[in-house]
Amino acid sequence: MTRFVLHRLLLTIPALVGLLVLTFIMLRVLPNDPSAALAGENATPEQIAAVRKAYGFDEPLWKQFVIYVEQVGTGDLGNSIISNRPVIRDIAERLPATIELTFVSLLFSACVGIPLGTLAAVWYQSFFDHAMRVVTAAGLAIASFWFAIILQMIFAMELDWLPLRGRFPVGLAPPLHITGLYLVDSLLTLRLDLFGKAFAYILMPAFTLSLAGLASIARFTRAGVLETMQKEFVHYAEAAGYARRRIVWVYVLRNSVVGATTQIGLLFGGLISSAVAVEAIFDWPGVGSYAVNAILTSDYKAVLAVTLVVGLIYSVVNILVDVVHAWLDPRVAEKL
Amino acid sequence: MKRRTFLMGTGATLSAAVMGVPVAQAQHRPDELVWADGLPGSLDPHAFSDVPMQGYMINVYDTLYVNQDNPPKLVPWLTTGHTTSDDGLTVTFKLRDGVKFHDGSALTAEDVVWSFHRLLSIKKGPAAAFLAVLDPDNITAPDPATVVFKLKQSYAPLVSATPLVAIVNRRAIEPQIKDNDWGQAWLASNSAGSGAYILDPSTYQPVQQIDMKRNPTHFMGWDHNKSPIEIVRRRDILETTTRVNALIKGDVDCTDSYLPPDQVERVLASKTATVSKDQSMRVMLLRMNNRKAPFDNLNFRRAMSHAFNYKGFIDGVLKGYAVRNAGPIPVNLWGAPSNLAPYDFNLDTAKDYLAKAKAEGAPVEREIEIQIQQHLAQTTQAAQILQQSLRKIGVNLKIVANLWPQLVSSTAKADTTPDMWAHWVSAYFIDPENWIGQMYDSQFHGTWKASCWYKNDKVDALLREARHLDDQAKRQPLYEEASRIIVADAADIWIYNAIELRGISNRLHGFEFTPIGSGADYRTMSLTS
Repeated sequence: MTRFVLHRLLLTIPALVGLLVLTFIMLRVLPNDPSAALAGENATPEQIAAVRKAYGFDEPLWKQFVIYVEQVGTGDLGNSIISNRPVIRDIAERLPATIELTFVSLLFSACVGIPLGTLAAVWYQSFFDHAMRVVTAAGLAIASFWFAIILQMIFAMELDWLPLRGRFPVGLAPPLHITGLYLVDSLLTLRLDLFGKAFAYILMPAFTLSLAGLASIARFTRAGVLETMQKEFVHYAEAAGYARRRIVWVYVLRNSVVGATTQIGLLFGGLISSAVAVEAIFDWPGVGSYAVNAILTSDYKAVLAVTLVVGLIYSVVNILVDVVHAWLDPRVAEKL
Repeated sequence: MKRRTFLMGTGATLSAAVMGVPVAQAQHRPDELVWADGLPGSLDPHAFSDVPMQGYMINVYDTLYVNQDNPPKLVPWLTTGHTTSDDGLTVTFKLRDGVKFHDGSALTAEDVVWSFHRLLSIKKGPAAAFLAVLDPDNITAPDPATVVFKLKQSYAPLVSATPLVAIVNRRAIEPQIKDNDWGQAWLASNSAGSGAYILDPSTYQPVQQIDMKRNPTHFMGWDHNKSPIEIVRRRDILETTTRVNALIKGDVDCTDSYLPPDQVERVLASKTATVSKDQSMRVMLLRMNNRKAPFDNLNFRRAMSHAFNYKGFIDGVLKGYAVRNAGPIPVNLWGAPSNLAPYDFNLDTAKDYLAKAKAEGAPVEREIEIQIQQHLAQTTQAAQILQQSLRKIGVNLKIVANLWPQLVSSTAKADTTPDMWAHWVSAYFIDPENWIGQMYDSQFHGTWKASCWYKNDKVDALLREARHLDDQAKRQPLYEEASRIIVADAADIWIYNAIELRGISNRLHGFEFTPIGSGADYRTMSLTS
């Protein structure tokens, strides 16, 4: 297993370099020079040229890339050309919010999607199964920004049950910073009152973000359970007199969620990219809204850094998924 | 403990935690203002000069002069006034006594000199308004209360432009200077001002949140406001619908000042908020690249000017929340001719001009391109309205989405400047120079403001003469004459002067609009519970 993890880790390096090259090319080959905007109102062409030189935008593209890669190699992702702060600092401040939102969404997706898919398979061709298929198709089709606004209008504006926007009440100190994840930090510091607030704030954005993933996991689980239920060991277990509930929820499910588990890994990338829209609508202070601002202002160092960090997280999550995959299905581990 | 018991216990605890707190309600202190508007990219007032920066700077920093009221009046602030020599080359400012920075040190003439040195050395943001006429060495402080500017050439807008320049605390910044950066890295996340509010750097997050507290020792005092706001929390909420919902719900006390008309109706229909409607000095226009064919043909440009449905755009898209602007200077500013006839929407006239252009050899059949700003819906709507009309007279207009930094970059050369593009010119300093001077004097070619590449020797002469005269009464007719010529030449398509629409909570009082900073001066504001 250790060899497998190391092998997967090594593979992430060329993937990340490829990601960096692609993003750099996309950002810098386009006519995308922020010098004029940086030079300010009414700046003369000479001032703009001076800014271009100061930031190295006048160097050949390959040289700019080499300089950037050298910087990244030393762990320095550079300063934002707009805020003039280290981008890694800006991202570090926002990343926990996005990670928390994404993981809670994944949790929703898995905790609701897997039982739904299992029940749909158990009650195959029943009303529940048909309804589940319609609901999951809708879940995949609905635009997250539209769904987010509907949730806001109902639960925040009409019923006044949940907060409309943000991550925590304005003016209230968040939990003591340990991990940066408010839910975890409030539990670690035994502040259930703060946990309640953080949980209420994350409910709507996480549910919005989880919708597509939930639908996808439910469908994968349903297909997996249906396939497994045809296996001989299930008939043997039934013949041996095992309770149906035990057969389905322990033996069948464990053999069926391998596909869904892989799906969770793939979903993670999708959730991070969908988080951009969800964060904007719920005013969630994560890297998604940071990336939007960076793109709008051509802050290419910030965009590159976000891409790199998200790519790294995506790779790590997929390694974890592979590990879980091997744990669920020992045959996978044996092949390594 | 059995697993089921554990799960039930955990579930019950979480439910109790969530149900036990009134999270849905806004929890502001009665003296705490939540201001939901755009934030500057950095907190260094010498590095940025955009509308969000103005809103931040006027609260945390002080300037030699400030603009107040609407239409704005230039009011001495850190100064008691200024004098200008007969030749217009020496401007002397006298400073007030008793002004202190947030760290308690005195603000003196040396700080003013150092602030301008810093600005002119960094050469970013507001520096452009001064670089052509000021050398750092020619700003001196003969005594602690006097600052003398010796100009390379006389420059009438100098005093009007001083509200652009924050006076910073040299003693706070100097220890933070690294690699001769004038403290830019530090000031990007900190403050060194004397203004009515003090930044809390510990909670600052770029383009997301800025917190400030009241400066009780501000030199202007607080006698004018019996219940001032103690804490200001500025938040940038990206999504307009969320911003407006937050206002209606009471989460925030104001929105940005560019509410779409449909959201204006929503706010007005609510019981918790209203909309402040203030005529600003922000001119929307469609640029035409006068150097590229067929835009180098006067009759073609006139055809384009008659092909835009001004009334349809202002009344239909903007629901009447704008004022038709016939030329480049905002209609509510001196220098704008009172009797200037705007181009009207008339496709028959447009067709006539198009035929003349064609007869003169202009390639009117070629597809022309207008670049819009992707995230600003109004630019798309304006382009679509023009596209619809042009199709009827046989002109093919292609709409291309772009972003502001790229558009600005493209205007450095005539051949890379788009055929047409849509933008606004906002009020950075209140002088016709901010609009007509920098948009149509050919010496500014290569800047985005002068991106129509218009060139007329007579206009150049008028604008340069107006720039060097100190007497407004003498400058006004020069700007009026220049305006008439530029409009007759149809250099661009001027659409409207903005009415700023800012959603404001009913608990907020004392909001006083002025075009600079869009009324974000918290000194005058108070809150009721």
